[in-house]
Amino acid sequence: MSGTLTTVPFTILFLPLFGTIVIAFVCPRFHRVAAAIIANLAIFGSFLLTVILALTVWRLPPAAQAFTVKYPPAWAAHPQFWAHIPPLTISFELRIDPLALVWMLIVTGVGFLIHLYSIGYMAESKNYRTFFAYMNLFVFTMLVLVMAGNFLWLLVGWGGVGLASYLLIGFDTDRPAAVAAARKALILNVIGDVGIMLALFLMYAHFGSLSYKEVFANVTSAGPAALNWIGIWLLLGAVAKSAQLPLQTWLPDAMEGPTPVSALIHAATMVTAGVYLIARAHPIYDHAPLAAQTVAIVGCATALFAATIGCVQYDIKRVLAYSTMSQIGYMVLAVGVGAYAAGTFHFVTHAFFKALLFMAAGIVIHNLSGEQDTRKMGGLAKRMPLAFSTFLAGTLAITGIFPFAGFFSKDAILDQLLRLHHPALWFFATLTALLTAFYMFRLVFLTFFSGAYRGEHEPHAARSGTMALPAVLLAVLSLVGGWLVLPGHDAVTSALASTFADRSTLESMADFNWPLSLGTLALAVVGFLAAYALYERAPQMRERLRTTLRPVRALLMNAYYFDTIYHWLFEVPAYTVASDFARYVDPEGIAGVTTGLARTTVHLGDTMRGWETGYLRRYGLSMLVGVVLILAYYLYVAHQGAALGAR
Amino acid sequence: MQIPVGDYLAVSAALFITGAVGFLLRRNPITMLMAIELMWNAGNIAFAAFARSFVDMSGQIFVFIVITVAAAEAAIALAIVVMVFRRRPHVDVDDISIMRG
Repeated sequence: MSGTLTTVPFTILFLPLFGTIVIAFVCPRFHRVAAAIIANLAIFGSFLLTVILALTVWRLPPAAQAFTVKYPPAWAAHPQFWAHIPPLTISFELRIDPLALVWMLIVTGVGFLIHLYSIGYMAESKNYRTFFAYMNLFVFTMLVLVMAGNFLWLLVGWGGVGLASYLLIGFDTDRPAAVAAARKALILNVIGDVGIMLALFLMYAHFGSLSYKEVFANVTSAGPAALNWIGIWLLLGAVAKSAQLPLQTWLPDAMEGPTPVSALIHAATMVTAGVYLIARAHPIYDHAPLAAQTVAIVGCATALFAATIGCVQYDIKRVLAYSTMSQIGYMVLAVGVGAYAAGTFHFVTHAFFKALLFMAAGIVIHNLSGEQDTRKMGGLAKRMPLAFSTFLAGTLAITGIFPFAGFFSKDAILDQLLRLHHPALWFFATLTALLTAFYMFRLVFLTFFSGAYRGEHEPHAARSGTMALPAVLLAVLSLVGGWLVLPGHDAVTSALASTFADRSTLESMADFNWPLSLGTLALAVVGFLAAYALYERAPQMRERLRTTLRPVRALLMNAYYFDTIYHWLFEVPAYTVASDFARYVDPEGIAGVTTGLARTTVHLGDTMRGWETGYLRRYGLSMLVGVVLILAYYLYVAHQGAALGAR
Repeated sequence: MQIPVGDYLAVSAALFITGAVGFLLRRNPITMLMAIELMWNAGNIAFAAFARSFVDMSGQIFVFIVITVAAAEAAIALAIVVMVFRRRPHVDVDDISIMRG
């Protein structure tokens, strides 16, 4: 193995961590901009190296494209240097293959653009340095997750991403809502971490190893029941991290974090980890049809569920959060039915347009001094042409308007659903596409048109170049990113082929089903027209709809009352038990035992100190009496029998 | 004529009782130390007598050990007594009961 292929992945992984450490320990002495520069350079360096690595790897023959590097390489012959509990050896190993590379490119590439955007967006923040240190940490943990060579390191990255998201969602520590949202995200994510741990235990029991290579090579040695269980537990982790049903409630609340954080969570890091996990563990899911089916159903249900909620929400970032949930649902659906290339492709295009949408929304929010409610926006198309045009590009991409990226990736998923014979899933996914077009254009109309500006404060047009540049770049990528797959040409599937070499087939996306694509496109246009009619042309019709569909609207406004249900199901019992404990068990029971013990000791001591008179003669007398008593016992009790016998 | 071992033990017991009574009744620390010495030596006489009686040297050896320990005890105790005498001219052991619980 050449030196490049061992040192470069290591450097890619640790540059962001290095950035965090430098910012944390060195930067406080310098100007705050130094932190931003270091953070950006670290991620940019990582991105450049990833590009170099990707170009090198994709030039290799397919059999050599997937490889595992152990660090330090010299230890490979001495497993006892690592955690070595025969038969298990847990080494620090990285797995580089096309699937990991796709994720690395997006994590570092889009991550870099978001870092660049943060320079301007966070300019007024008091904790500028802390923010960039956390951002670098976030990218680092996500890289650990996607580059890990075994499931244990994947779990390390998995937990690390949860921690970094907790730190960043609760970044505004003076706002209780942000802190509560951060805590919620962490708790729901830990549920997923436990799921992955259970999957790891099962893998250890059945394969005696946690390494991707060994687990996947022996995958058939475990029965389908065991594989199904492993798949279900992994899915629990994916569901928590990717905000799928039923652990989705943390994602809308996570909008309390600064907008670049939302962009990072939604586009580059965090929520797509679930898709990655299932694509990564595809040998398990290929042999666990029940688990794979569950994955697909969860994805499809979430896609539809989130899209319906998106139709009524007013907070611009919340709508985007539900759209992410819905789009991740598409990806989970795709990898669940085995359309791994389509799922990965949608991840790539989604990263572009979702980061773009958040950046554009961020510019709007920034210029409105933090206003996120679309009811207080409106008519901003003329006032903020850049935000409008980039947001529109993102909207066209996410709704799948030709020739934007979403058209190709979403159609690839819908197409594969039909090819793999899942008509029911296809129907709901297509319905979701219609809803997506409706709520996204509704958002566009509410924010940028629908009459005049409705806010109280006059928007100021403060906009820095570091915010505009990434948005424009991503707008271009949202247009051209889909062209990786064109009729007769499928770069994504061929690039990923070596990762999925163990599958008998990986469906190509090059063969377009034109009637289907045009039908979906027509649905998107219908969604657009509906939004146009309701929010631009005929507001009175909207009022009428609102009164007739009042219960439905209330249901959707409250996100199907999931938070309320969880509140009564988990929070209330937990709080009740805890407060009862605090009121009764703690003071009476636990405190009773401990203070009782203390009181007994004090009494005992008081009694015994009476014996300690300090009079030497009394001590002497006690000793004498004691000796006499012991002698008496010895002579007349214990040895009575023996003495009698001797006589 | 062989003196029977019981006679030795009688002397030893008398000596021990003298020492014990002295220790319990006197208040002068020096006198008390002397009483302790008497008790040590009562034990020594019993050891030596039994050693002769059973023709076993371990009793004799024990006497040496007791003498050594007694010397060490006397040294420490005397040091303490001297320190106490420095602080006050007349010493009654009942007065130095400040170490009570």
